[in-house]
Amino acid sequence: MIDPVFALDLIKILLVLIVLSAALIITRRDFIALTSLYAAQSFLIVLLSVGLFAIDRNPLLLIIAAITLLSKVVIIPFILTKVQRRLKMKREIEFSHLSPIGAILLAVVAFFFIYALFSGILSGLDKGVLSTVVSLAICLVFMGLIIIFTRKQTITNVIGYLTMENGVLLFSLFVAELSLLIEVLILLDLIMLIVLVALMAFGIDSSIEEFHSQLNVLDRWLGREQR
Amino acid sequence: MIFLLLFLVGAAVLALVLLSRSHRVMNVLSLAHATAYVGIVAYALARLPLPLHADGSDYLFLDHLGAYEILVASVVFFLAALYLEGYIESLIRAEELPKRNLRLFYVAMNLLLIATAFSFASDNLAVFWIFLELTTLFSAVLVVTLNAKENIDVALKYIFIASTSMLFSFIGIILLFFLSAQATGTGTLEWSALMLHAATFSPALLLVSFLFILIGFAAKSGIAPFHTWLPHTHAKAPSAVSVVLSGAVVNMGIYGILRVFAIVHQTSALTAASWFLIGFGIFSVAVASLSMLRQRNTKRIIAFSSIEHMGVILVGIGIATRTSVFWSLAYVLAHSLAKSLLFFSAGIINRQYESNEAEDVRDIFRLQPLASLGLIVGSLTIVGMPPFLLFLPKLFIIIELGKVSLLLFFLLMLFLLIAVVAFGAFMMRLFSAVPEAGKQERIPRFPVPAKMSLTLAILITLVLALGLWFPSYVQHVIDAIVTELRF
Amino acid sequence: MNWLFALYFVLNTAVAVALAPLLMGVVKKVKAWAQGRRGQPLLQPYYNLAKLLRKETVVSSNASWVTRATPYLSISVLIVATLSVPLLFLPGKTSAFGNVILFFYLLALANFFMALTGLDGGSTFGGMGSSREMSLSAILEPLVLLTFLTLAFVFKTFDIFGIVGTTSQAGIFSVDPVLILLGAAFFVIIVAETARLPVDNPETHLELTMVHEAMVLEHSGKHLALMETAHAIKQLLLMALFINIFLPFGFATQPTAASVALSLLSFLAKSIILAAAIGLFESSVAKLRLYRVPGFYAVGTFLVVLTIILEVFR
Repeated sequence: MIDPVFALDLIKILLVLIVLSAALIITRRDFIALTSLYAAQSFLIVLLSVGLFAIDRNPLLLIIAAITLLSKVVIIPFILTKVQRRLKMKREIEFSHLSPIGAILLAVVAFFFIYALFSGILSGLDKGVLSTVVSLAICLVFMGLIIIFTRKQTITNVIGYLTMENGVLLFSLFVAELSLLIEVLILLDLIMLIVLVALMAFGIDSSIEEFHSQLNVLDRWLGREQR
Repeated sequence: MIFLLLFLVGAAVLALVLLSRSHRVMNVLSLAHATAYVGIVAYALARLPLPLHADGSDYLFLDHLGAYEILVASVVFFLAALYLEGYIESLIRAEELPKRNLRLFYVAMNLLLIATAFSFASDNLAVFWIFLELTTLFSAVLVVTLNAKENIDVALKYIFIASTSMLFSFIGIILLFFLSAQATGTGTLEWSALMLHAATFSPALLLVSFLFILIGFAAKSGIAPFHTWLPHTHAKAPSAVSVVLSGAVVNMGIYGILRVFAIVHQTSALTAASWFLIGFGIFSVAVASLSMLRQRNTKRIIAFSSIEHMGVILVGIGIATRTSVFWSLAYVLAHSLAKSLLFFSAGIINRQYESNEAEDVRDIFRLQPLASLGLIVGSLTIVGMPPFLLFLPKLFIIIELGKVSLLLFFLLMLFLLIAVVAFGAFMMRLFSAVPEAGKQERIPRFPVPAKMSLTLAILITLVLALGLWFPSYVQHVIDAIVTELRF
Repeated sequence: MNWLFALYFVLNTAVAVALAPLLMGVVKKVKAWAQGRRGQPLLQPYYNLAKLLRKETVVSSNASWVTRATPYLSISVLIVATLSVPLLFLPGKTSAFGNVILFFYLLALANFFMALTGLDGGSTFGGMGSSREMSLSAILEPLVLLTFLTLAFVFKTFDIFGIVGTTSQAGIFSVDPVLILLGAAFFVIIVAETARLPVDNPETHLELTMVHEAMVLEHSGKHLALMETAHAIKQLLLMALFINIFLPFGFATQPTAASVALSLLSFLAKSIILAAAIGLFESSVAKLRLYRVPGFYAVGTFLVVLTIILEVFR
């Protein structure tokens, strides 16, 4: 049995590291580093849900940790790395709207407002560290949004989207766990989305014919090539 | 039973499409798919006691609202399938769509129909959210089948805007779950259960949750300021796909907003939520009508008009009286039909001139009389001219808004008028372009296949007939919906 | 002033001056290993200093008294700064010279004179180094101030003695785990202030990348030895501050001979580990373009502001 105070401290540290990983994602520009940062961030979330399990003893948390580990630490980074190998572009060349510095300062401002908003709303519902956690999770969502807004390359946009999604997952871990079926469906949906967007990123990078032959993987699975 | 039937029909059609080799077979299958859906849901609406819950699953149910929306969507899909064969053949001949993408196109089309139908039939907010995400993906696939690199950009923009906004919705959904867990002990996301317990939810938190949910659903239906993907996507997609996107997929966001608003409606958060809806609605109308003024592209101006109409529907829902919600629902049907007519006509014009730009159009009356008629009738309908279908819904929503605030009434009237002017001016320019004197242009006429003409004829008749005589049966259904939603 | 303070002055200063070159050597050694080289002997910095002290001092004919005075000024300022940071034990609960603001502005004073000498020699390299150094310090300033003000807010004192007193009693994470963010920000400050990768490259004399090296380029002989010692002491002080605030295990809580000896050992171990960590960090990153350095600082600032929001408004 883990001491709950210690577990709570551990969870706080993990949360802080998760936000740190998002801050690093905002400033980095080479795809490989971004993908590994995302994998690390997801792994921290896995640890976090295991930590929460130590407090809550809700077996759903362990299952979520397991499927997150499988999908976000292994499968999605694998897909992204595979796509990156085939792209000509290896890093983000220019930023739109904001430089990373501006982006990070914006994240700070966003966090301030989110914190003010949520500590106001949640003050009635006493659940320990809830308002801190909720605002950190929503801050992560906004940081992902900022990444999407300030980057031009599709792959970095995907990383931004995934960061947002991690924020939502974090939020749901602390506020309310939905049922298992729904969590699994959401992950499947996420993987489909990543595959499709990765294909399109490849399409922008190469010719339209190559893109369409990639898009028709469906036919190849059935073993028949249509002319 | 109903759900199993819907699923089996969908799965069978998908399997057969995967096995079939000719375009004709795929097309007939899709047509059969949509027909079956229309039949099943119409039967359920007429004969079965609604709301109907699926046996053995908490995630599916069918009430009047869901059935009505599925019916509208299936009709749109049916018309699109009818139109599709000739249109796609012409695209393939012009090498705008590679032949090898044909099967993928039909698979995505049928998957889109299944996802649309099941999203309206899901009893659970999270499941609804997942189906909504899936429709984004399938629509994006439909957009990228064309032989143009811009389409990939457009589809990516669509995916990113829709999906990121939908993540905000998911935050709202989790909050709602949290609220229901506080009220009942075990949380639930079922529409029916949420409606039951709504009165005990904390209004402040419910409002926050509603606003988060609103972001994503508004993005899905192209409400400003989350609309930026819509004009691009609808303009670049093949016309039959634009029809499906504007006529069926866009409705899903509005449907979700209506459902969640019905929950908020039972608490004291109603006033604030209602002002947000009216505000976003009028803002959308304003943005759309002002953007329409400078459009030179047939499909883009029609797409912007979708944003305008979603805005009006949102205003209608936001007013939250029985009358306004009733007419908003009628508006959904009217808009889907009128918008389909416009995009189908625009599709024929696109095949005639192989361009959507107004300046390429010459001598349209002589070359494409039916499409011209379709455009004229469609335009008259869409701006809300009296004998046509959209007139009454628009009129009543505006009148209801007048009861809320006279200032907003005039504001909305002003923007609607601008939209009318923009649309009218555009059509005038389109129709008055004749070949320049002296310079003899010989444009070969695009032979419109019979099925495409048939689609247009059906729609022109429907728009006019329903405008003159709105069936009392539909009125009963909409009445039942409004009662179910407790407005 | 009692004998404990006298002992503190002597011991603290002696340890700081004696250990500073060693840590330089450790960082270099770790970097060499990371690059697959054997590297110079661990004590090479001491040999270098001994050699430099025997060499003749040459000063540019353009140089004024500033160039001649700066080495002595730097070393004296740094030795004074040493007093602010308790390395082994605390002579008292508070002190007049343990102020964080004073400490950082002493370092800034040394920096200022170093930048002046860069200009004073009249060489192009020196001027370039000075201008870069000054603009980078100006950008780093908000991060440094915010970090220390947050520390002051959390521990309710500006006094380094007070802060270290609290952490050595309880450990920082029992105060609040969120302070790990401040630790990360402090690491950014150490890297920036000691002119290390990715802000500056201490290995090279390439015109494009030099900042710190460009300023001391004109010095030679004894002057260079003093400047290098001052730089090494500065690095040691920042590392000691980091260690004593964020990793206070083993710090002597009572000024007895045994616990001070233990404290010396633990400090030696921790500082070598930290120096090795810095070396590894340096090996794993690439030099940033000058215009992208502020982005690196911005990450630190972000972390600090996050801490402020979480700490101040809770």
